[in-house]
Amino acid sequence: MENFIEEVPSYIEKIKSLKETILANIVMIGQVPSPTFHEARRAEVFQERMFEAQVDECTIDEFRNPIGVIRGTNDKKPPIFVVAHLDTYIDKDIDHNYTIRKDMIHGPGIMDNSAGAGILVSLPEILRKLALQFESDIVIAGLIYSIGKGNLQGVRQLLGAWKTPIRGAICVEGGELGRLNYYSDGIRRCEVECIISAEDGAEYRFKPNAILILNEVINRILTLRLPQRPRSRVIIGKISGGFKHGIIALEGTLGFEIQSDSDDMVKTIFRDITDIVDGISHEYQVDMKLKTISSVNAGTLSFSHPLVKSTVAIMKKLDLKPMADPSGSELSIFLSRKIPAVTLGVSRGHNYHRINAQMEIEPMYKGIAQIIGVMKAIDSGVCDEEHLA
Amino acid sequence: MKNTWLEKNTFHYSDFKDLRNLVEIKEKKNLAISLCLPTLNEEKTIAKEVIIMKSELMIRYPLLDEIVVVDSGSTDKTEEIAREYGADVYRASDVLPGIQNFQGKGENLWKALYITKGDIIVYLDADIKNIHHRFVYALVGPLLLSDRIRYAKAFYDRPIAIGTNMIRATGGGRVTELVIRPLFSLYFPELTQILQPLSGEYAGYRDIFERIPFPIGYGIETSMILDIYEKWGLDVIAQVDLEKRVHRNQDTKALGRMSFVILKTFLNRIEKLGLIEKKKEMHNKMIQYKLEKNCYKPDIRQVAEQERPPMIDIPEYRKKFLPGKFPNKS
Repeated sequence: MENFIEEVPSYIEKIKSLKETILANIVMIGQVPSPTFHEARRAEVFQERMFEAQVDECTIDEFRNPIGVIRGTNDKKPPIFVVAHLDTYIDKDIDHNYTIRKDMIHGPGIMDNSAGAGILVSLPEILRKLALQFESDIVIAGLIYSIGKGNLQGVRQLLGAWKTPIRGAICVEGGELGRLNYYSDGIRRCEVECIISAEDGAEYRFKPNAILILNEVINRILTLRLPQRPRSRVIIGKISGGFKHGIIALEGTLGFEIQSDSDDMVKTIFRDITDIVDGISHEYQVDMKLKTISSVNAGTLSFSHPLVKSTVAIMKKLDLKPMADPSGSELSIFLSRKIPAVTLGVSRGHNYHRINAQMEIEPMYKGIAQIIGVMKAIDSGVCDEEHLA
Repeated sequence: MKNTWLEKNTFHYSDFKDLRNLVEIKEKKNLAISLCLPTLNEEKTIAKEVIIMKSELMIRYPLLDEIVVVDSGSTDKTEEIAREYGADVYRASDVLPGIQNFQGKGENLWKALYITKGDIIVYLDADIKNIHHRFVYALVGPLLLSDRIRYAKAFYDRPIAIGTNMIRATGGGRVTELVIRPLFSLYFPELTQILQPLSGEYAGYRDIFERIPFPIGYGIETSMILDIYEKWGLDVIAQVDLEKRVHRNQDTKALGRMSFVILKTFLNRIEKLGLIEKKKEMHNKMIQYKLEKNCYKPDIRQVAEQERPPMIDIPEYRKKFLPGKFPNKS
């Protein structure tokens, strides 16, 4: 294994020689708006690009995830999956015009996850340029219905329909170069909706305000005693409501996420919040609904898993400092199915989820080299034994 | 008027999607193809155009032999960025230095004839936000697949970018509908079949371009169509649907200045053809008004009206290219 790790830095210059192809793919994919549930056109472009790259097999699965397969040399080895989600947080009416400067690409969605998707479709040509062959088939998949309310349906369906073993997987994200996710938290993403009848009725002496009621929900959530072990937290991420400054808000929505490395603790906290919402609904006599938008189970590889160890070694060889954090992305679905997997970022950027997002071009080559190094590691057998915690 | 030309010579870009076939025909016919991008302060879009064309039509499918940027003297990083991504970059004023220098898009296109080596030249505006390689292969397609067609012009839906981040689905093409189409309807009804005569994307054989004059400014597209039509007829022209092109929205005053030049070019052309007789010379200044401190003040602009002669009449060009064998098509 050490041999190919030594070689990984030498990939960078050859990858750079495909600069135009990689940037063209990123731009062509990134300029197609692709909010969750509206990824069809981007999936088509993704497939067209793989077709142009002369991938051995090019198809779209039953769930409409575009998939390409690079045939390996040993049909007895299970395939290696390399995936990137195709959906973005950017609305389809936003101008998805990308600008390339000397050192930077600018455009909405570039870091999450147009760069990841563009690099993924460039992989066949990059591997050809590097003259690399793998024993395993390489399955390249663009995933739809992933983020937010997509609830990772794309990857769930892909793996659900895949009946044979999978050797290992890499989830590719635009940023941040240096990230190394090998464990995922249990996550429950929820929304509390508060609706107050517009009719004046006898039940209200003073008409309640949906925003103030949601504020009360937040206050009570903040009084919950969350354990440090298992590590748990509630993130209040979104709030919206009301019509105009001088009118009492009759509708409001609060979005929050429960995160914990224990699935049981996620359930416990969710029950507590359900009680809070029910209580406030009763106290104020308003309609409140608590909905689960998405949920994933916790999963982890141990730090001593050979996939993690070799990924760390590859990153260090490339002078990258691995940054470990839990991830709630596709990784969790692989890990929940006992498939060793990591999530890697390809470059550095700014304003990730804003319309003026930017990505640095130069670090990207190192990011790609790192992905190929990890593919080689999986192909060399680091995932071939059961190491899941 | 019959729409036979419209039916026979109108294509969709998907008709030319088989790029391998186009490359084979190009090689069989031993043709070289050049892409020319005229620029003036296009640092936001130039890299994207160069990268996509180079990646798809030089590296993946060798349809293009060169990408040439002819710049009018940008003060931003257009030249540096274009060079960085592999285009051959020329400052228009450095080309044919022995002749008087003018500034304008038409000037750049005209000088590109001297710089480029292609038998076919593709001209694209450098400000296309949704650039895709179909903008080139779809224009080259009819020229390669038909022995009759010598010039191909783009048409498309024209969504416009509003402000910095929003797109409006329809719009644009106002000068076409308010100026050119009425004029064509009056004098050349046949030409109304060309759906977007002012589109800035077209391709043609060198032996067409070198034989027509080039106005140096906005009049270039109008004069080009009229001259090709007059010399070779409508049948050598094709138009290709490129579907969608996102471009910058221009304000009404800018469109007014563009219309001024186009009208002048048109009237001069039809006078040459004996279709009208002007009793006096036209003025060469566009007069618009602006409100300043509650007073209307004239905003007078001298609009470029110079016209370059057919490139084939330039001695340096004849020396370099004639009798039509190009020294290096590799």
